[in-house]
Amino acid sequence: MKAIKIQLWYGLLLLGILLGLLTAYRVLISTGFALYAKTDILVWTIPIAAYVFFSLTSTGLAFVSSIPVVFNANRYQPIEKRTAFLEISVLMAAFTCLLLHLGSPWNAIYFLFSPNFASPLWWLGMLYGLYFIVLLLSFWRMHTAKTSKALGIFTFIIAIATSTVLGWLFGLPDARPVFDANFLAMYFPLTGFASALAAVLLFSLAYHSFAKVPLSEGDKNLYNDISKLFGVVMAFTLIFFLWRTIVAGISASAVEFAGFRHMLGSGWYHLALWIGLVIPLLLIAMPAVRNATWGKVTSAALFLVGMFAGRLEMVLSGLVMPTGPKAEGQPPFVSYWPTIWEVFVFVFALAILLLVYTLGERNLKLAEVPE
Amino acid sequence: MPKYAMVIDLQSCVGCGACSIACRNENNVSDGIYWSNKITETYGTFPNVRFHYMPTLCNHCSDAPCVRGCPTKAMHKLDNGITMHDPDKCIGCRYCMYNCPYEVIYFNWQDPHKFWRDTRAVIEGGTSSPEEMIQKVNSGKGTPYSNPARGKTLPENRPKGVVEKCTFCDHRINAGKIPYCVEACPADARIFGDLDKPDSQVSRLLGKFKPYRLKERLGTEPNVYYIRSYNPARYERTKGGI
Ligand code: SF4
Ligand code: SF4
Repeated sequence: MKAIKIQLWYGLLLLGILLGLLTAYRVLISTGFALYAKTDILVWTIPIAAYVFFSLTSTGLAFVSSIPVVFNANRYQPIEKRTAFLEISVLMAAFTCLLLHLGSPWNAIYFLFSPNFASPLWWLGMLYGLYFIVLLLSFWRMHTAKTSKALGIFTFIIAIATSTVLGWLFGLPDARPVFDANFLAMYFPLTGFASALAAVLLFSLAYHSFAKVPLSEGDKNLYNDISKLFGVVMAFTLIFFLWRTIVAGISASAVEFAGFRHMLGSGWYHLALWIGLVIPLLLIAMPAVRNATWGKVTSAALFLVGMFAGRLEMVLSGLVMPTGPKAEGQPPFVSYWPTIWEVFVFVFALAILLLVYTLGERNLKLAEVPE
Repeated sequence: MPKYAMVIDLQSCVGCGACSIACRNENNVSDGIYWSNKITETYGTFPNVRFHYMPTLCNHCSDAPCVRGCPTKAMHKLDNGITMHDPDKCIGCRYCMYNCPYEVIYFNWQDPHKFWRDTRAVIEGGTSSPEEMIQKVNSGKGTPYSNPARGKTLPENRPKGVVEKCTFCDHRINAGKIPYCVEACPADARIFGDLDKPDSQVSRLLGKFKPYRLKERLGTEPNVYYIRSYNPARYERTKGGI
């Protein structure tokens, strides 16, 4: 019975990957990006929002996995190895989304031969490349049963650098002041950390449930601790979210903020606020719910769904209002609904994440505690 | 080194769009892409309405945000001030589109001039198909009316997956000619030249009329200037009232 379930799971993931490969072929080789619901106005859509979602979750996981070495908090050690492997799997999902966002990814070789040091995108590309290598090294060290303090600290620093540079990337253009680089340089690491805590809860509890490993008293205390921390970080996220709404959405009157004001009425915004922040925060605030497995899983899952909607809302808020010559013949705000191919990009990334993670969970002893 | 600039005289511009058509022909611009474009605005309520027409193109900004953000220097500045693009280095991230405050960069979402690849006859049994025609006239490339001169500094037709925009007709400038939109303008509303020469026509016009540039407050230092505005209207002088 168990073998059938596993095969079914692999089958499902392979189906997701096949759909993704078909999308990659059609988008990059045969038809082109016309398959996406992109226009000359909405130049960035789901693939980039999903990239932001996965890459920030991965850097947040780096914060979590470095807690034992950077902050000497040894009680986090039991999740260290799983978190480190999750970072790699989630980052692979992020790279998948990026690959299907770029029109000519093969030209990325010019990151090396023709670098532009003034470009946040160049720094981001290089940092993520380095980050991936460091993650692999760091996991390999853990797998050989040793934790390297130096690698742990290095991972932590690169994780801060990547998530803040992503804030710089969005906040660079003076033409789109709705993205404030200073704000995003704090908001991105914070929300990445919150997403990571949610992911750790989900994946760790899934391990206990599917591998039928009962929760020891120590495990229970650890997951209760993580839930508490998750609640605190989520509360900060809500405060930042509301401040962004007040500053950029309600009190700012410049025309460049109109796109965000428009997005305040969108489903994506309300999904992010209510489903992704208010409800999970209420759940986590109740000790009985917080300490129950279902409470942790529900609030973490809702938070991640809301966070994804929030990433998309954020990307769209800088783009939905057509300006200049591209506003000719357009409504004041353009609407967005993804095509099936854009959904397949997300499915592809998720399938890669889950497949890599499942293989790791089954073969790499992720529950092991490194020295 | 010259510093090329364009002055657009809005009093002379009649809004005919000849610049855009000329640009399309000269640069083999594909459907849905506009190197030369316009902003139109209507003010007031009938019968008190006014229509404004403002031709637009890449401003070849001296401090170009598109260039600053491009990770691979695919978007770059030439010594003569032109903002140029190299599709061979472009990864198609569209960060330049996101960064350009003037919305003048376009992405090739699909193969260029796609309708010329259609294998169906325009009139069944009566005409050839676009694909047959293009095979005969231009060995299957671009369009039957493709301008090979464009291919000197950029691919004659840019492939899918990269961006493109106005280059001030750099290939013509290299051959000692002015941009084709300037040449084609029947009202001489576009004036092109070198700002480093104090006696060039562009320098003289900027000294004579108060020029303005788009979104000057952003500090991008555009090199497309607008002067004057078309308005022959008179109005009865009063002090208004309440
Ligand atoms: S107008 Fe836009 S594309 Fe042209 S140079 Fe300025 S920023 Fe770049
Ligand atoms: S789309 Fe091409 S030109 Fe534009 S920023 Fe990206 S690499 Fe540079």
